[in-house]
Amino acid sequence: MDATLLTQYALAGLVIGAIYCLMAVGITFIYSVMRMINWAMGEFYMIGGYVQYLLIADWLGPDRWYLALPLAIAGVGALGMVVQRVLLRPMFAGGIERLDEYATIVTISLTVLFRNLAVVIFGPYQFSPRDYAPPVQLGPLPVNGSRFVAFLGAAALLGLFAWVVRRTWFGLAIRSVAQNRVGALCAGIDLSRIDMLAFGIGVALAGAAGALLAPVFLVYPQSGALSTVKGFEIIVIGGLGSLGGSIVGGLLLGLVESLGSVLISPAFRDVYGFGLLVLILALRPTGLWGERAREA
Amino acid sequence: MLWVDGVVAGYHEGIDVLRGVTLRVEARRVTAVIGPNGAGKSTLLRVVFGLLAPRRGRVVFDGHDIQELPPDTRKRRGIGYVPQGTSTFPQMTVEETLRVGGWTIRHDRARLRDRIAHVYDLFPVLAQLRRVRAGVLSGGQLRMLAIAKELVVMPSLPLVDEPTAGLAPRIADDVYRLLERARELGIAVMLVDQNIAEAVALADHVCVMALGRVQRAGPRESVAADLRILVQEALIGTGG
Repeated sequence: MDATLLTQYALAGLVIGAIYCLMAVGITFIYSVMRMINWAMGEFYMIGGYVQYLLIADWLGPDRWYLALPLAIAGVGALGMVVQRVLLRPMFAGGIERLDEYATIVTISLTVLFRNLAVVIFGPYQFSPRDYAPPVQLGPLPVNGSRFVAFLGAAALLGLFAWVVRRTWFGLAIRSVAQNRVGALCAGIDLSRIDMLAFGIGVALAGAAGALLAPVFLVYPQSGALSTVKGFEIIVIGGLGSLGGSIVGGLLLGLVESLGSVLISPAFRDVYGFGLLVLILALRPTGLWGERAREA
Repeated sequence: MLWVDGVVAGYHEGIDVLRGVTLRVEARRVTAVIGPNGAGKSTLLRVVFGLLAPRRGRVVFDGHDIQELPPDTRKRRGIGYVPQGTSTFPQMTVEETLRVGGWTIRHDRARLRDRIAHVYDLFPVLAQLRRVRAGVLSGGQLRMLAIAKELVVMPSLPLVDEPTAGLAPRIADDVYRLLERARELGIAVMLVDQNIAEAVALADHVCVMALGRVQRAGPRESVAADLRILVQEALIGTGG
């Protein structure tokens, strides 16, 4: 196998990996702030894909594809905030006491609801928006335009996310809530508002992944199932609660899937990630950067 | 300034931790709430700050009913809360922690800068540790930081829960000296403490709680005399 082809596959893997990162960062972010796992993450991914498809195919037209992504992100984020406000906030009723299983039941029910709504509204069909961007030449390597846009979009969103969390007042409040809820409350931070915004941002990242991947993978009611699983694979590889771990884990998963496909067989594409997962679990059960002991 | 009126509260259905608590905290006075374990002292502070909603009764602060207000609103009205245990953030530097403490005045940059500088004047130790993460501070430094964080926005009524639990005696002394300075700053303090001797020595008013009720309250002199008996009664359980 020649080096150019291998590099091309590696690059393709990193492109997909960058988008997996969005999913994983969203899951770990929601977990860090609210200490709950959002099992419906893949369904927000699926909704992001549908919104992107509708915007490009019907509402905006393929010429204004650059508007579709921000609109899809905003739409999924807004839906997430409504879900948090209406369905998840009761979890925190009564101050700081909470029911852990509540979030699990609510978010698993949401996966069923959203999947079936998608079937009712759009039917069981598979959609795919047309490639909107022309192919790009990276050195000697031709890259599919939509994938290239997806990679840049994912990188830009992750950069923006990191900037908000590290450099802004809102990010400071988010970090304080993630590290000590009572401590944040003492400082006069409105926890229910931060929770709502954090949930919105977390699922918006999943929506962004769905929107960016819409031209690459297909959009259909069950499309979220596999992406949730992959999101959790990355979380286990990188370590729950670690943003850096999510990013390295996402890129690693994309790379392993892509190289496995070309070096072994494309039929087992989704198996390579699990292989990596089992390996990591055997060697480092807390993940690459997992929290060893929970603080506070 | 604070009037707790007939408050009944608890964490679980049918189990009341506070069983009709009535007490007053006067402005510019240190009020110590003492009593045995399980008397409901910490729960009382949680109700005053809004972490726990009372089942019955009122909490009146500066003439307004506040029992329906969320904690962040109470903070803006001037109630501060330094809970038992950690209320700091392990991954944040001292400076970042104080900025979180200044959350409610974040839009007034000049004031925030002044207030943080003022807090560093009060706690010179923290000024040297500005860039150090809270996670590596000692227990005493952490407690200082927890208190300092709530002083960035100067509360008119800080609620302080067990400020010296688990601290070495010398460091505990520092914390009490700091609480004494509340009078200079012109603020009231509501102090819950297991360390009865120190708390009473510091207080203007003493309130003795047992089994979810106030057994006795008044100026220090009137309560201090028969404090030993009161506490004994409370411990044996004949006080109720």
